Amino acid sequence: MARLITRLLGACLLLSSHVYAADLEAGRVKGQTCLGCHGTVNYNNAYPTYHVPKLARQHSAYLVTAMKAYKEGLRSHATMQGNIASLSEQDMHDIAAYFSQDSQ
Amino acid sequence: MKRLIIYMLMVSALIISANVLAAADVANGQLKSASCTACHGVGGDSTNPMFPKIAGQHADYIVYVLQAYKTGKRINPMMQATAAALSDDDIIDLAAYFSAQEGLKTLGQ
Repeated sequence: MARLITRLLGACLLLSSHVYAADLEAGRVKGQTCLGCHGTVNYNNAYPTYHVPKLARQHSAYLVTAMKAYKEGLRSHATMQGNIASLSEQDMHDIAAYFSQDSQ
Repeated sequence: MKRLIIYMLMVSALIISANVLAAADVANGQLKSASCTACHGVGGDSTNPMFPKIAGQHADYIVYVLQAYKTGKRINPMMQATAAALSDDDIIDLAAYFSAQEGLKTLGQ
């Protein structure tokens, strides 16, 4: 019985380690770099030329997925990969919460 | 003179038809959008956090992304399979349709 409880507690710990409490205010601070491109209306990427994507109102879970895709090399973009390389998982969740404000 | 007129007519016909082919068509995009909306929601306003909202996204960014999936520059099995079936015109029309919908904004806008 004691062993079962220990195992259950261990499982709870394992699960909780994957849950990140996103902090919108921390995201506002950490997301300042992002605003250079993603906070400027109609800002263009160079070579090739296209508008950098709008992120406001996007699902936060998707924004985290997208950031991880750059980190894991599933998406290639020198600037994005450079900026995201130094972000922790917590940073990504905070930044995603900041950009996803007003999403439903 | 006659040859010149014929030549000019041919060139202008060519230019006009090329422009028509390249013109993005929102209505055509809507017709082609059925398989997209299954995941991305009606008008691209996804309500499932797994799938991004694409409503209101910049048209040229949507074109860039779909071409990136199509050419394998961006990796995602579902999107690569979907984009593989799209022609360049399909991509331009879909981008026109979804970018015309109300949805995403630039933060602070």
